[in-house]
Amino acid sequence: MVVLWKKLLREILSNKGVYFSCILVIVIGLLSYTSMSIVLENLERAQGKFYEDTQFADGFIRLTGYPENQVNSLENLTGVEKVEGRIVKDARLPEDEEGRNRSLRLVSMPFPEQPQLNRVELIKGNIPRGNSPELLLDPKFMAANQLAVGDSLTLILEGRVVHFTIVGEAQSPEFIYAMRSAQDLYPDPETFGIAYVPTSFYKNLVKEGNLVNDLVFSLEPGGNFEDVKLLLEKELAPYGLQSIFPQKDQTSHAILQGELTNLATMANSLPMVFLGVSSIILYTMLRRLMEQQRGSIGTMKAFGFTNGEIIRHYLNYPLFIGGVGGVLGGLSGVGSAYPLTTLYGEFFALPGLESTFSIKYFLFGMVFSLGFSLLSGLKVSLDILRLDPTEAMRAPAPLSTRKTPFEKIPHLWQRFSSLTQMGLRNAFRVPTRSIFTIVGMAVVFSLMTVSWSLNNMMDKLTVYQFREIQTYDVKIAFNSPTFSESLRYTLAHEPGVSHVEPLLEVPATLRNQWLEKDVALIGIYPNSTLYHVLNQKGEKIPLPSDGIILSERLAKLLNVKKGDLILVESPFARNYEEGQEKSLVVQEVVPQYIGINGFMEIGTLQKLLEQEGIATSAILQVYEGDIGALKKKYQDADLVGSVESVKESLAMVEEMIETYGFTIYFLAVLAGVAGFALIYTSNIISLSERQRELASLRVLGLTPKEIMVVISSEQWLLTSCGIILGIPLSFALMEGMAVSMSSDLFAIPKEIPLGAFAGAVGGTLFSVWVAQTRAYRKVKTLPFVEILATKE
Amino acid sequence: MSLLRGKGIRKTYLTGEVQIEVLKGLDFEIVEGEFIVILGQSGSGKTTLLNIMGGMSTPTSGELYYRGEPLHNADEVKLNAYRRSSVGFVFQHYNLIPNLTAYENIKLVADIAENPLSVNEVLQDMGLEDWAGHFPSQLSGGQQQRVAIGRALVKNPDLLLCDEPTGALDSKTGIQVLRALLKLSRENRKTIVIITHNIEIAKMAQRVFYLKDGLFEKVEVNDYPLKPEELLW
Repeated sequence: MVVLWKKLLREILSNKGVYFSCILVIVIGLLSYTSMSIVLENLERAQGKFYEDTQFADGFIRLTGYPENQVNSLENLTGVEKVEGRIVKDARLPEDEEGRNRSLRLVSMPFPEQPQLNRVELIKGNIPRGNSPELLLDPKFMAANQLAVGDSLTLILEGRVVHFTIVGEAQSPEFIYAMRSAQDLYPDPETFGIAYVPTSFYKNLVKEGNLVNDLVFSLEPGGNFEDVKLLLEKELAPYGLQSIFPQKDQTSHAILQGELTNLATMANSLPMVFLGVSSIILYTMLRRLMEQQRGSIGTMKAFGFTNGEIIRHYLNYPLFIGGVGGVLGGLSGVGSAYPLTTLYGEFFALPGLESTFSIKYFLFGMVFSLGFSLLSGLKVSLDILRLDPTEAMRAPAPLSTRKTPFEKIPHLWQRFSSLTQMGLRNAFRVPTRSIFTIVGMAVVFSLMTVSWSLNNMMDKLTVYQFREIQTYDVKIAFNSPTFSESLRYTLAHEPGVSHVEPLLEVPATLRNQWLEKDVALIGIYPNSTLYHVLNQKGEKIPLPSDGIILSERLAKLLNVKKGDLILVESPFARNYEEGQEKSLVVQEVVPQYIGINGFMEIGTLQKLLEQEGIATSAILQVYEGDIGALKKKYQDADLVGSVESVKESLAMVEEMIETYGFTIYFLAVLAGVAGFALIYTSNIISLSERQRELASLRVLGLTPKEIMVVISSEQWLLTSCGIILGIPLSFALMEGMAVSMSSDLFAIPKEIPLGAFAGAVGGTLFSVWVAQTRAYRKVKTLPFVEILATKE
Repeated sequence: MSLLRGKGIRKTYLTGEVQIEVLKGLDFEIVEGEFIVILGQSGSGKTTLLNIMGGMSTPTSGELYYRGEPLHNADEVKLNAYRRSSVGFVFQHYNLIPNLTAYENIKLVADIAENPLSVNEVLQDMGLEDWAGHFPSQLSGGQQQRVAIGRALVKNPDLLLCDEPTGALDSKTGIQVLRALLKLSRENRKTIVIITHNIEIAKMAQRVFYLKDGLFEKVEVNDYPLKPEELLW
């Protein structure tokens, strides 16, 4: 019926502010749903195809050295299908003008043939010829360093200068997210990249060229990783086995997979929050509409409109709003999926990653939007069934006037002005609406709190690590475990060096009954001033002379607590043999935000390994001005794998945080918009319900400002309740996020800093203030004479 | 021919634990084309009777027939069909839909009728052709009531029930509205029932039912009904 559609459109236009804000909230919800879902699908499709095309391995092995000519024999082990041996070493580029520490991970490949597993996809150029100084580079490193196919590249490998020619750009499934180490958190293509070098040439460059230090393998169909791992451990133990881990723990894959999981969680949860808020707005608005139009409903019934016809008409309101919001949100989501996919492409080097138009998610989004909207209108519309036409045409019975809880405290109640008392009473007269508004505000508040907490989260994951835990200035990592008093003496006497400590990081398997986890154990110098273990409160705790300190996540994975015993086995142990386990007491459980580790005093760890005096790196306190010279001197040394300056890492991380800052503010603004929409609706409804009362006050001589007190006191009460309810909700939301997003690479801190609450309170109050400013304009233009002249 | 016949119509409301009998057993018969006024003071039960006649509610006991079809035991679907096809309502406060124009208010009802009249013709009959695009708030009380009559009329019902149609109008506008109703009765042979407490309006009816405390006090046949303009307000 065209006339009824005109009625609907005019009603919506006459309250465009509220309906527009509701549409906006739906658009935000659907934009996030559609765009994230499409991006997720794009990523998963590209990942699946790339893994298949390149035969991504099922398992990864790191060891000191295994004879290259024996690699094929490993394929005879039950469950193993194919094995590929590689030489993987880091090579340094000569320092550029900016003095940056740039390195490439060189992976050997049987060029001109492709390997059986972890092949590379050639993006540009040609495959290197065998036994030639040619290499393929990862595209991100090439772009970040303005390199092109045909350029020559000088590398320093094990102290030897080698000149290569770049013959092409290629990508391996192993380095989609290429990080120097798991501790880096972000790839930095300017300073770190991957290069693929012909094995025949590579083996002549390194000292033990007939040994491979890295193996990848695939499982036979139906093969079990754990069974194969046991067989491989036995076989490889004499060759300095460091770790065997499945595809799911491979750093690049784990990060990509973690991102996909987070994206899926966000794509499903964030839209629900916004659609929930829009439902509250729609429900409140439709309830008021129904109250206002009960006369029209009665008249329509009197003229013979069926209940079905009237219900359909009133359901068209939410369906229209949901439809418009759905179309706009869906289209903007589809539109933003393109730049978002490109943005993901900046972080994840996935060949074939491209955005495709997906009508599926647009339609799903429409179904969600219409479904939520319909649900919010259903209850109200069904009330039409109960409305008797004769009763509908009479004015509704006055609302109950029971005393509010405030009135039971006369001292408090008397302190309020009459206008405030009116406002407070109104909040209690329509409890359902008040409860909905409070719940909506609580959701908005908690969303804001979590947004602001992301700041703290990023800080804990990055800056905190460098400022509070790893307080050294320079870390010199050795090629193989070593250390001696003379080395320490030498380093301590370098210009600018004020303190030197050894650090021992070794792979180990920790076990508690059937639960086990492969982690790195960190041995720290007693009373270290350069590497700290901190408790929940951020206080430094001393390292026990026996036993081990575990990170919270590790303790949880192993299901142990302080005082429990765990079994430890490390391939770094002298005369290591499979099953050579030692028990350790868990002395403390501490929070750890990056990685999962066990911490021990270095001497205790050396004793456990029966390797007196070894260390894998030296950490130094160095005067800032001398760091450059120190790096220059040691980075080419035979013994040294890398020299890392914490300041450089910190600067890189801080730069990265700035880009994340945008996300934080964006989320907070979205939550603010939802809060504004909620309060604005509540204001407008309150205004429309009470316009006769407020018009009378205007006639009595009250100013618009004074009248606003009635409206605002109700809103402030609801907002305060929303904030109070929002506090536990924020903790629950943060806990949920921490549980769902934490991984072996990083742990999301559960605590919410006071600043985040302050930010959320500020944001909420700001959106309330904006909404009230809008409502104040309406109060100022209230046509009070006309209102009083119309019938009730 | 009998259009509407009531026998022993009673209506009781339960307010808390108190039973209030509003109609106490009414018998009546209304013939097609009649112009009837039901006269009574506030609380006499006029509106309750009109609601029962219009199928908006059912009697607690008694029988009601429209063209011989029982309505007293009809379910909501049947009552709705009756209201949809046979009855037109005119209310004291017009009950127009505020965000529809005069034309659209009438068109809305025409859209659900089986044999509707032309909306433009109805507007013309009501002298509202120049006001078709105006919203209720832009019309005078008399114009609004004429839109309301037009809306009741457009579906071409046999029975027009008017609840204090001039109650909110001044005398001049009231007479305009009554003239429109009388024209419908004379020219279109519509049966018109007006309930009012205004004794002057009764003078233009063919029959007057005097309702007091839920009972017909008397029923008068008016052999010489006055024209609306002859009424003294």
